[in-house]
Amino acid sequence: MTDNKLGLILLHPAMTNKPEDVTKAVEEAAQDGVQMVNQYLINKVNDGSVKLDADKYDVIHYLTPESPDSIKFPSKLVPVLYSALKAGGSVYGLSDVLKLDALLNGFSIVNDGQYHWEKKSQTQAAVSIPLKTSTNNKNKLPSFKRAVKNPINIVQFEDDLDDDDEVNNSDKAKFFTDYNNDEDSIEEEDLVREDLDQAGITMITCGKSKTRRKKACKDCSCGLKEEEEQEIDQVRKKQDAVVKFTDDELTEIDFTVEGKKVGGCGSCSLGDAFRCSGCPYLGLPAFKPGQQVNLNSILDDL
Amino acid sequence: MNRSKSSKRIAILYGSETGNAQDFAAILSYKLHRLHLPHTLNSLGDYTPHDILDCRNLFIICSTTGQGELPRNAIEASHGLNKKNTLWSFLKKRNLPADFLNHLSVSFLGLGDSSYPKFNYAIRKLHNRIVSQLGAKELFHRLEADEQSMAGSNKGSGASIEAVYFEYEKRILKYLRETYPTRKVNGQIVERTEFAAEAYLEPPSCLLLDSDEDGHIVQENLTFNGDDSVNVGTVKINDRLTHPEHFQDVRQFVFNGKKAHEYGPGDTISIYPCNSDDSVKQFLEIQPHWKSVADKPLKLSHGIPNNLKDGGFVKPLTLRNLLKYHCDIMSIPRTSFFMKVWTFATDVGRMERGREQLEQQREKLHQFATDEDMQDLFDYCNRPRRSLLEVLQDFPSLKLPWEFALDYLPIIKPRLFSISSGPNDPNIELTIAIVRYKTILRRIRKGICTNFIINLSPGDKFRYKVQNNNLFLNKELKEKPMILISPGVGIAPMMSLIRSDVSKNLKLFFGNRMMERDFLYKEILQDWDKEERITLYTCFSRDPKNSPKFKYVQDILWSIGEFIAKLIHDQGATIYVCGSSNKMPIQVRITILEILKKWVNFEDEDAAIRYMKDMEKDDRYLQETW
Repeated sequence: MTDNKLGLILLHPAMTNKPEDVTKAVEEAAQDGVQMVNQYLINKVNDGSVKLDADKYDVIHYLTPESPDSIKFPSKLVPVLYSALKAGGSVYGLSDVLKLDALLNGFSIVNDGQYHWEKKSQTQAAVSIPLKTSTNNKNKLPSFKRAVKNPINIVQFEDDLDDDDEVNNSDKAKFFTDYNNDEDSIEEEDLVREDLDQAGITMITCGKSKTRRKKACKDCSCGLKEEEEQEIDQVRKKQDAVVKFTDDELTEIDFTVEGKKVGGCGSCSLGDAFRCSGCPYLGLPAFKPGQQVNLNSILDDL
Repeated sequence: MNRSKSSKRIAILYGSETGNAQDFAAILSYKLHRLHLPHTLNSLGDYTPHDILDCRNLFIICSTTGQGELPRNAIEASHGLNKKNTLWSFLKKRNLPADFLNHLSVSFLGLGDSSYPKFNYAIRKLHNRIVSQLGAKELFHRLEADEQSMAGSNKGSGASIEAVYFEYEKRILKYLRETYPTRKVNGQIVERTEFAAEAYLEPPSCLLLDSDEDGHIVQENLTFNGDDSVNVGTVKINDRLTHPEHFQDVRQFVFNGKKAHEYGPGDTISIYPCNSDDSVKQFLEIQPHWKSVADKPLKLSHGIPNNLKDGGFVKPLTLRNLLKYHCDIMSIPRTSFFMKVWTFATDVGRMERGREQLEQQREKLHQFATDEDMQDLFDYCNRPRRSLLEVLQDFPSLKLPWEFALDYLPIIKPRLFSISSGPNDPNIELTIAIVRYKTILRRIRKGICTNFIINLSPGDKFRYKVQNNNLFLNKELKEKPMILISPGVGIAPMMSLIRSDVSKNLKLFFGNRMMERDFLYKEILQDWDKEERITLYTCFSRDPKNSPKFKYVQDILWSIGEFIAKLIHDQGATIYVCGSSNKMPIQVRITILEILKKWVNFEDEDAAIRYMKDMEKDDRYLQETW
């Protein structure tokens, strides 16, 4: 098996739920004469707890459930992949989302049949453009260092406006010395005299119209509060029609029983954020359709 | 601090009553961070006044109280002993020259409600002092948002206050991009571009496991550190004042502290509530990866963030303690929360329908985070008063990193209550209305603080502070009458005033719904009336049997208008109005003005209006409403 090519599988964390996909990738690679010798979670590589050996692999395969155009792959790892590959080696599973990073790090992009990146045989130095997000030099990472133990891109920023435009305000500093002298203050009321206020205000020219935003005052006497309470009662009646409240804290939500309507949106089980305005489940927690659900969160009121 | 460097060159300052202005400030801050613009974000009250000399660009977002004042967090610091040392008190110094702020570019956004007479007064005061009198340059005319869309920048346009905010934001971002087109990174100049939408900006200080402590479970006594003005009180009485069947639960709440306090009528107590153990448990259930570290000792990478100092910071530092004492997980989440956390919707393992559902949740959270309309968020969270905890329960894809919890979770704030006990009484008495709401969510909504108070029993301990408002120090008041107008829980500070010796001639106007149900302090008030310590006038708005002639306090005032006019004009009476904000204080004010017009011989109506304004200026017309 000496002529076997060596491969590496990198996994998006979500792939741990899909072992069958991983197995499939290993088998397919074997058919192409590639032996997958290592398999790592991408976040382990990202946080440095796994180090990749240089010039070791012929193939690196990244497995992710993301669609090609929404891949979120830490761009700082692109040079890491580059260095882990033998000359002429390939990366599969990434996309043009990272095209620039790939090119900057010396990959060429091959799009004949199966899209992949190739480490050029004649090792060229990565193009050095210092101000981009990915270079081989960690110290040069300009604006963002990536995640600590987390697939999320954690950004830190550096900038220093305080270097700029020194204005010498030392002559004003003296006013801070004798402080706390209440008698020596202006009257706030004098600040709202009409004649002082000629500067005008900015008018906004467009804006989405305001619709259902009104909220009743605490001591509402205009009828809005009654309207709101009626609305609440109506919603609760709907709830009562679809949910049976029983003594043992369990209640059944069942789409199949006649007379128990579902909302038109079909998102009834997903929680209020996804329900349509006429949904009979509005106000109830998210649930799994057809299952008995413990709605202990609503018992307070029963 | 070497990370997420803050800068004094740009400052976003807010004054906030309900939290709206604060959240808009947080949104603006987030947008600046995305552009790698270092800046200071703070309340006006907590900003270090001297820093104004290093500031070049100042953005102020401020709401207005019902009485046209700046909000409390704009005029005093949240922690420490020298609370009045604020930017605003400094800028009001008369001896500042007219060019004092000429190094500064400013822009203002006021949040107001034109149903109040002093619409957006706070932002106008700030604007006039900072621009007109102290010479700061205004980047563009200020914006004044009106909740009612009837006045200000969105006058008659039907546009919401959010539309006004986003116009403000748009103008600021445009200006800053033009002013700072590049940024410096390791000494090199690069173009200023936004960082990726999915990225999370690491906060200045993060939580870390405290490795020195060996990861053992913490069991030491709780303390709260770093705020010298906070005290620990012990509950003595916590009894219901209203009839058991009355819808509202009003408590007589008495406690004492370790030391005696000096205080007088009109002073207030702030109470620091905490979450129930059950709420914390539910939070950990929905973020199960927090459980294994919940009781382990933690430390902060770069010290305690400023917004956690008010009331002292909990020790020992564990996730469980933070969730219980600092993180407001029962509050209604705001836009800034969604802005920060949507990118953490990554847990496909908890999605019934896998990837598709994950994308669906992610997209919805992103929409809540970025939608300028905010209507869907309002309908989903604000209308039903949905808590942050319940949102997490609806979105199991959210897998929150605990390391940044103090950045994205809102922080519990203290709640203020008027003192009812007499001056300096070591047994401090409060009168507290328990807040409960009914919404489409089945579980009853409770205010975090009142829920905390319901569950306190005699002997229990809690954190509090005393605010001295120095309202009735004038000795001349003693010989003059006082007209106390206080429907409902407004009676609280009146109890203190009656128990003091501020005035010997007190007329108390109390009203509520039903005599037998919510006549607070009925026996004691009736006794005082008999002893002629006060003259008591009552009315009950939903109780025609016991209150046939009058519904509201202003009805009684009008019915004896001639007498009231004499008290005010001839005898120099002081008026003190307390209670719920909204209509009552406005209607009382109108009634008093009409009484003056009708029964005092002013030359014309303007003279009556001027008299009324002078009363307010001379602190003869005082108002404490909430």
